[in-house]
Amino acid sequence: MSLALSTLLYEWRRYMAAIVALAFSGLLVLAQVGMFMGIGKAFTATIDRARADVMVLAPGSTGLFNGGPSGVPRRIMPVVQSHPDVVAVADLDGSGGRWQNVVEGDAARKTEFVQVTIIDAVPGAVTVPTDYSNDLIEALRQPFGVAVDETALGRLGVKLGDKAIYNGKTVRVVAVTRGYPNMMQAGVVMSRDTLRMLGEANTGDRVGPLMVSTKPGADPEHVVAQLNAQSRGQFKAWTRAQLGEANQAAMFKESFIVIMLGFSLFLGILIGVAITWQTLRGAIMANIKEFASLRALGVSMGSLRAVVMELSFWVGIAGILASGVLTWAVSLLATSSGLTMAFPIPMVAGVCVMLLVIALASGFLSLGVLKKSQPADLLR
Amino acid sequence: MNPNTVTHGRAGTSAIDAKGLVKRFKTGRTFIEVLKGVDFDARHGEMTMVMGPSGSGKSTLVAALSGLLKPDEGRVDALDVDDLWDHSAGRIDKFRLDNCGFIFQGFNLFPAMNATQQVMTVLKYQGVPKDEARRRAVAALEEVGLGARLNQRPDSLSGGEKQRIAIARALAKDPALLFADEPTSALDGENGQVVIRLLRRAATEHGAAVICVTHDPRLEAWADRVIHIEDGRILDDQRRTPDPNATLGSH
Ligand SMILES: Nc1ncnc2c1ncn2[C@@H]1O[C@H](COP(=O)(O)OP(=O)(O)O)[C@@H](O)[C@H]1O
Ligand SMILES: [Mg+2]
Repeated sequence: MSLALSTLLYEWRRYMAAIVALAFSGLLVLAQVGMFMGIGKAFTATIDRARADVMVLAPGSTGLFNGGPSGVPRRIMPVVQSHPDVVAVADLDGSGGRWQNVVEGDAARKTEFVQVTIIDAVPGAVTVPTDYSNDLIEALRQPFGVAVDETALGRLGVKLGDKAIYNGKTVRVVAVTRGYPNMMQAGVVMSRDTLRMLGEANTGDRVGPLMVSTKPGADPEHVVAQLNAQSRGQFKAWTRAQLGEANQAAMFKESFIVIMLGFSLFLGILIGVAITWQTLRGAIMANIKEFASLRALGVSMGSLRAVVMELSFWVGIAGILASGVLTWAVSLLATSSGLTMAFPIPMVAGVCVMLLVIALASGFLSLGVLKKSQPADLLR
Repeated sequence: MNPNTVTHGRAGTSAIDAKGLVKRFKTGRTFIEVLKGVDFDARHGEMTMVMGPSGSGKSTLVAALSGLLKPDEGRVDALDVDDLWDHSAGRIDKFRLDNCGFIFQGFNLFPAMNATQQVMTVLKYQGVPKDEARRRAVAALEEVGLGARLNQRPDSLSGGEKQRIAIARALAKDPALLFADEPTSALDGENGQVVIRLLRRAATEHGAAVICVTHDPRLEAWADRVIHIEDGRILDDQRRTPDPNATLGSH
């Protein structure tokens, strides 16, 4: 085993501050990446878990609801339906409005804006997500029944069975969903019939995004290509996978995410370098006489520098491992509170490289203390 | 005797020859002259002892002779290198790597490494292949009586044992020049005796020129030659017959 590695293992306490600093730098960035990716996943949950293999949106739109007009002219529906491989087409209607909980006694009154999406409350309908149980669908078939995700219950101040006021009309929470968190705005699901009874169903000549299911054995990419060939700029068809990816990518173009990530990256690097540098410096100083004795015996300064750089490399590796453990713990915690984090490999690899660069930069900065390894000082 | 050892030079031939060494240190606004024109030589196979009171310039002399501290004036010819201080820092490092062993008052061992690794490290930097380095390290440790302590780290060894690792580390290189600065002063009498006998053996059996600095007059018994230095000047230079079996009472 090399001098650097055995020193790190044997005197790990001395290097702990650096390893912890690196671990937290990594966590700072990774936890946010994980959170945003997780939110992104949740954002696309309705896409990923849709029964439709093909979705038809307004040109330029990359999400079912998030921002911008996502719908298409109503007359597109028969055009899509007439494709030989298409089995079913349904528009995904939606609305939004003011939500108030009904409070008894001195409980907190909440007023929130909610986003409403619909399903056709029939098992197997193309608008019903694949993970909706028949019980859930049946519950939503009740007039004025709505489903709320478990992560939004607190925000909306309701629990299963509670009444609430939506746009001035009474609705009831008949089901609680799981796995559809939304950081931006609470979401509520109801049946198409309930939306109609509330008077908010779309009757104009534009409809929401189209959910399309294809024949078993048909190639959705093929269908998408053929539909797009006849779009004349009025719509764009996507496969479910394509839309999920585009949706997530679009989220990362949000400037506040870029700013937050950039700021954390900057902070993580700054703190990581400062602490790792000082720790390495201190640790080298603690062994400076030993280094000086090697200098006396003729070991070159370059060789000692290499030892320090190797040491910082191993500190970086240890920091990456510690960071992994911390991030894993945090993601468990997040999952248990209903927020799933996601860690795409390229992002994780990027953070690992960042930690290694921090460690090596710190090692480079602490090379200066080796000048203190004056072998003549050992002669007294 | 260490079976890997080559003997250096012919016993009695000159190993190091220094002329007119002057070294000044700046203290505040004034300079103090620590070496005031010292001439010095040492021979292969001999233990040359440099004695003198504290602050007389002994350590500074050793540093100048061994390529650790450049003197302000004078020259050092060591082994086949003429005017050592005329060479680049890299060349001087190489000279020390190839030829010099050091034993200091402190042991300066890496806490993380066991005895064998301590000795192997320097050999590795000399470019000795790993297997041979291990063999030589073990042989050197056996020579200093630490054959049973090969895998122990410094924190589980006594001061005497640590100093013997430092000696093994110096000896494993087979240095032609072995510099020792107060090698026994951190040790009790018994361990001090073990150490000075090992240095004596390095001279007699390995043919190294051993230059040993001390202020302990009892070590004279092992020396071939005793040089007294005081206030940066050599006072006298006596040859004597060493007694390798001399004993050192406890301090
Ligand atoms: N780096 C230095 N800077 C200033 N003064 C020094 C330095 N090194 C040694 N000296 C001074 O030089 C004198 C001789 O030192 P040294 O050679 O260590 O003596 P010795 O080894 O005989 O005790 C002492 O007075 C010491 O204070
Ligand atoms: Mg001294």
